[in-house]
Amino acid sequence: MTPPESGDKAVRQTAPGERTLLEAVGRRDRRAFTELYHRYHPRLHGYLRRFLANGALAEEVLDDVMFVVWKDARKFRGDSAVSSWIFGIAYRKAMTAARKESRYEAQLDRGAEAEAVADRPPRHRDLLRAALRELSPDHRQVVELTYFSGFSYREIAAIADCPVNTVKTRMFHARRRLKYLLPVLAGVDKEKTREKG
Amino acid sequence: MKRDEGMPHAQAQELLPWLVNDTLAADERRLVDAHARSCVVCRRDLVELERLRESFSESADPAGVPAPDMRRINARIDALVERDGRFGQLVAGLRDSLARPWRLAFAAQSLLLVALLTVLLWPQPATDEYTTLTTPQALPAGDYLRVVFDPDLDAAATARLIDGLALAIVEGPSERGVALLRITPPAGGEDADALAARLLGRPGVLFAQPAATAEP
Repeated sequence: MTPPESGDKAVRQTAPGERTLLEAVGRRDRRAFTELYHRYHPRLHGYLRRFLANGALAEEVLDDVMFVVWKDARKFRGDSAVSSWIFGIAYRKAMTAARKESRYEAQLDRGAEAEAVADRPPRHRDLLRAALRELSPDHRQVVELTYFSGFSYREIAAIADCPVNTVKTRMFHARRRLKYLLPVLAGVDKEKTREKG
Repeated sequence: MKRDEGMPHAQAQELLPWLVNDTLAADERRLVDAHARSCVVCRRDLVELERLRESFSESADPAGVPAPDMRRINARIDALVERDGRFGQLVAGLRDSLARPWRLAFAAQSLLLVALLTVLLWPQPATDEYTTLTTPQALPAGDYLRVVFDPDLDAAATARLIDGLALAIVEGPSERGVALLRITPPAGGEDADALAARLLGRPGVLFAQPAATAEP
């Protein structure tokens, strides 16, 4: 499968166009807003869908993010890339939504995922998905923003509004935890498959 | 193994994920590359990280991205525009009233009423629950420590501080250095209090205490 439009690289190539669009949104240009919405929808959906268990909630949060973009476009000072600014809004919305997302729903989703994994030989991506769910939200965000959205560590620091050293430290510990979790989960799944066979 | 080329090993290790996602600045990339060429550990980690990146690409779109549907957001923006429009009309009306004194008194009274209603009916923003380092928190089964590291420490220095102790960072450190550490058995016979005391004795640890857990 082709990787998603690697957020950051694609954004860097089209940055001037996006800045112009955002300025037009600040002047309340609905056509510019529609264009910006369509450009960011796939990337934001992918990012939010991976972070939130519920697809409908991801779309709802995406609308919340873009509504803030409409309201606050004039506040964009141009200190960072447009993509960092928009993903910064998405980051905060995702963290709030993840906290509010009911524990029950998350457990249902996790249960269904575990069953799906148990029904067939485990693939690395299934194990990865399960392992990511075991990370704390701040560790997971750094991993997702790096590998899924393709942001640099400086951009992630701007998105998460924290020092670059904090981003590096979170990634360091997330990697350590993934290194521990992936073999453990693989072992468990192999056992399950063997039992079924 | 030769580790003295390019940049220090710990610094190169921290940057490997962004070498793999190709977002390092040219000079950083050159230094990390130079180090990795002479470091077996970094080369092995690069292979693992590349595999991780590929797994992300494979699982990039699990349920498919739905077509953008702007009906809901357009309705919200329409409502906002309408509200802003009404406010604009109110301002224009006031301007008109200034030309006629008897209307001015009425407009001032109306404005006062609107201001009063706005204050009374404006939805209050939800405030986040205030928590402290010792506030009980719902956590998965196990023993945990709440630790505050010196925020100026880098990842390698933080890792060195817990070296040799049966501890793993599971959350944080936050911007202020607060982290949650899980006690990984076997703890060498040491309980949470003893581990916290040992950590506190290490320079760079500002606070360490067993985390109080609440019922989930």
